[in-house]
Amino acid sequence: MNAGVVLGPEAPAGLVVRGLVVQRGGSTIVNGVDLLAPPGEVTVLLGPNGAGKTTLLESLSGRIPASRGSVRIGGRDVLRSSRVARARLGLAHVEQGRTVFRDLTVEENLRVAARTDELNDAYTLFPELRPRSRVAAGALSGGEQQLLVLARAMLGRPQILLIDEMSLGLAPVVVRRLLPAVSTLAAQGVAVLLVEQYAALALSIGTTAMVLFRGQIVLHSYAVELRHQTDRLHQAYLGGVDHSSQAKELA
Amino acid sequence: MVGVCIVLLYRMTGVLNIAQAAVGAFGTMVLLELLEAGAGFGVALLAGVLAAAALAGVLGALVARFYSDSSAEVRTVLSAAVLVGLLAVGFRLFGNDPRTVPSLLPGSGFAVAGVVISSNAVVLLVLAVGLALGVGLLLKRTRLGIILRAVSSRPVTAEMLGVRVAWLSVGVWAAVGAITAIAVTGIAPTRPSNFLSLSLLVMPAMAAALLGGLRSLGGTVAGGLLIGVVEGAATAISQVSQYRQVLPFVVILVCLLWTQRGEVWDAAR
Amino acid sequence: MRRVERLTSQPAWALGGIAAIAVPLFVTLGMPSYWVYLSTTATVLALLCLSVGVVFGRAGMVALCPMAFAAIGALATALANHWRIDLPFPVLILAAGLVTVPFGVAVGLPALRLRGLNLAIVTLSFALAVHAIVNTVGFPGGEALEVVPRPDWASDDPAYFLVCWAGFVAASVVLSWVGARRGGAAWLAVRSSERGTAATGLSVPRVKLMAFAASAFLAGVAGSLLAGELGQLNATGFDPLQSLTIFALAVMVGARYPEGAALGGMLAAFLPELLREVDLPQDLAGVIFAVGAALGLAKGSGGAAADLRAAGRRLFSRYLPPGRLPKPSIVDVSDSRRERPAGTEVVLDTRDLSVRYGAVIALDDVSVRVCRGELHALIGPNGAGKSTFVDAVNGFTRLTAGNVAICGVDSTTAPVHLRARAGLRRTFQHERTVADLTVREYTRLVAPDADPRDRDTVLAQFGCPALDIRLSSVDVGRRRLVEVAAAVLARPSVLLLDEPAAGLDAVESRQLGRRLAEIPTTYGCGVLLIEHDVEMVAAISDRVTVLDFGRVIASGPPAEVLADPAVRAAYLGAEVTA
Repeated sequence: MNAGVVLGPEAPAGLVVRGLVVQRGGSTIVNGVDLLAPPGEVTVLLGPNGAGKTTLLESLSGRIPASRGSVRIGGRDVLRSSRVARARLGLAHVEQGRTVFRDLTVEENLRVAARTDELNDAYTLFPELRPRSRVAAGALSGGEQQLLVLARAMLGRPQILLIDEMSLGLAPVVVRRLLPAVSTLAAQGVAVLLVEQYAALALSIGTTAMVLFRGQIVLHSYAVELRHQTDRLHQAYLGGVDHSSQAKELA
Repeated sequence: MVGVCIVLLYRMTGVLNIAQAAVGAFGTMVLLELLEAGAGFGVALLAGVLAAAALAGVLGALVARFYSDSSAEVRTVLSAAVLVGLLAVGFRLFGNDPRTVPSLLPGSGFAVAGVVISSNAVVLLVLAVGLALGVGLLLKRTRLGIILRAVSSRPVTAEMLGVRVAWLSVGVWAAVGAITAIAVTGIAPTRPSNFLSLSLLVMPAMAAALLGGLRSLGGTVAGGLLIGVVEGAATAISQVSQYRQVLPFVVILVCLLWTQRGEVWDAAR
Repeated sequence: MRRVERLTSQPAWALGGIAAIAVPLFVTLGMPSYWVYLSTTATVLALLCLSVGVVFGRAGMVALCPMAFAAIGALATALANHWRIDLPFPVLILAAGLVTVPFGVAVGLPALRLRGLNLAIVTLSFALAVHAIVNTVGFPGGEALEVVPRPDWASDDPAYFLVCWAGFVAASVVLSWVGARRGGAAWLAVRSSERGTAATGLSVPRVKLMAFAASAFLAGVAGSLLAGELGQLNATGFDPLQSLTIFALAVMVGARYPEGAALGGMLAAFLPELLREVDLPQDLAGVIFAVGAALGLAKGSGGAAADLRAAGRRLFSRYLPPGRLPKPSIVDVSDSRRERPAGTEVVLDTRDLSVRYGAVIALDDVSVRVCRGELHALIGPNGAGKSTFVDAVNGFTRLTAGNVAICGVDSTTAPVHLRARAGLRRTFQHERTVADLTVREYTRLVAPDADPRDRDTVLAQFGCPALDIRLSSVDVGRRRLVEVAAAVLARPSVLLLDEPAAGLDAVESRQLGRRLAEIPTTYGCGVLLIEHDVEMVAAISDRVTVLDFGRVIASGPPAEVLADPAVRAAYLGAEVTA
């Protein structure tokens, strides 16, 4: 599958995943996924609850071990590398559930990730954090916490940014504030892999989109096309996708 | 002060180390051995502290390597096992005879309202308060401190931000081990000092730590003082003086039942 | 089926029986007297290991005070002797055990609230306190050099060894018997999940206290036997270090099992001697125990005995065929809801349930009714409050407002296990079966009254593994099936299923869907199903309620609800309709 994704030998920049298999508690959650997240683009990964999206991301950042396959960051295979090593190669993972350091203030949260004392980048992109800089992160609203986590990930100057369910538990109006920030990051040359259950919002900023269903990619297309074909999307969510047509999507 | 160390280690690495005092006692014993061998006090103290730091560092590395995914419960059981092992080793190396431990400072002390306070106790108290304040400042003000706090609340997230958590935690273990050695050496002159009794200092220390809610350093110092005072008072009343070792139990029990009264269900399981 | 049960459990019993007879023969006939004396010590220590095995090995509570209990037992024995209370020796021993029980329960009381670290601290400080008291008071008659007498018929060492051995064997038999029944399973269940245990209708406090009582009893008996063995007692034998050593030892050997405890006793008594024989320092034993316990913990196994058992099972499974289940009868029932009688009796009625965590509103005035014979689906995007709703209905989460009635009885304030007994059963999104149990033992734990034939049919229908398969050896999806089947077997009036199909592949989850559709009519209960597979929900449910941000946004027949634009918007993000 994925005939449209060109995996040339000259090691493309960004994130390249091939044949990834992840098992958890004896069952296979991610079953042979190939994907490519090129720099400067937002790649959207959609799929219903329980499809394996979070597990996939967690294995990419090394939070959980993968069984087989290859994960390349800028051409280097990191499948067996430690979390720290992956992070230092430029991989950042915005986990599900807004993982701020609750007892630390906003500024302290940012300092953990910053290589230098320069926090201005974060405040420029997210000006609403500046007045809150001395507030404990645990006391922020959900939306502010998500902003903070994004800002924190950004300060590590990642080449690849994995974002898991940014919208979880947030009102759509808040999500609409977050999305442009993600686009801005991509425009700065970061390869963004965005996992979402709310398809419409994510597709509005994505370049390409994939649907993961029961551990496999069942649909791969340009985001702009999917945006106007909600019935195809519905179908993919329910698992009954037409496998013959998908290979041509990106060709 | 041992209590402060326990709290420190627990907050930084998530391990409630029942063997903490034993680690400190190990340092104290090394110091004594060297003194008996004719070394100067300063050299011996340094060696003892380094020995404790090294021992703690090794323990920390082992925990980080093999038990990083274990629950806090398993780690506590582990530390109990470590205590058993350390005591056996300590018994082998240092024997079981009580020793006289020289005070960190000479001098007999002074009397306040009829109660003799040794200069040793004052120094220890100052050290404990200083330690609590110093560590508090370190955690609040420096980047290292911020990172340490981040690691203690979400180690995996910190790792994914590129923080070398394993190295840091070994460092914390070693540093805390060194401080514990100083603390134990300081307390030692006031007690019958063999390796076992020094190791069991962990109990009042735990009580103090719990009074501080296992989080607050200042609270722990206050708790330690309170326990010390109550113990001292109990010693003064002859009927109960024999039972003063029961005190930590009572304090711990009351304290825990109060703080945990809301915890009806086991956390995430 | 009964015969198969007996067959599969026989090897362990047979081996145990042989050991129970062979060991005393070997000891009393073939050993020099000093070694007989050591064997007695080993037996007593083995009994102590068993005591730890109950409270930690089975129930998973870190209690670091076995020696303190033993001290109390020994103290009681010495007192009885001092006061010239003349009891036959066996009665005296049992009485000493009984005297210890209240102390065990007293120490166990904090365990209802405290766990892990905190419990470890409490019990260790209890050990220290008991030691301090015993040390100060001394054992009665100690100064007068009074000796705790052994009975006339067991005054010499071999005879006394036999007495101790008999005690150990009796304790092992009783524990194994209890372990194979619901009581023992409940201990394991508490260890694996307190919530899961309460949801099956067992009272967690009772189970925990029973474990402490049993543990204290065993340790008290051991202490009493020790008093008889030594004659004269002194406090240093009961110091907290001994408690810790026994505990480490018990962890290392896996004292849940009799052979583990026996091994522990032997190690504790003989290892120092052996080390001396080969000119190694005796206290190396402590180091060995510590390392052994550390290794056991690192592997996360149940200690040496558990490893042995697992190896034994692998060996036996080659020769014994596993218990077979009848083939599941495949009936396509996807359309069975048409024949279903319209439910009228409301078995679950929630009114205006609200749950707040601080400023966050997780549930906001949610009212849901489930009738007998109805399959009611609750759907909604991630974080909509579905699981919170189940937790609120079942009693884990405190309500901010609202009422819950089960079968017409208001249960708003009832504790979890009473709601379960009132006819409410649930399964969990992250399954909470007990990995240490076999399928048979787990179903017995959850549904003690189920008829074996019923059980086999239901298990087969849901595609569960065979009865004697241990749950730890099957994957998560299959464990969840066992959880669902066992909950059905408990014959609830209301069954709450939290994402039962998670972890199953497409074919399996479709099969499960069919089975689920049968439950309400076949077993006459109301089912509330949380499921994200919308296709399945549409196919099998009678009513659907949709939650979004903690509020009900639609409720009614599936076709109607799923066509609702608000529902479609909730699923794909609000702007899909814009």
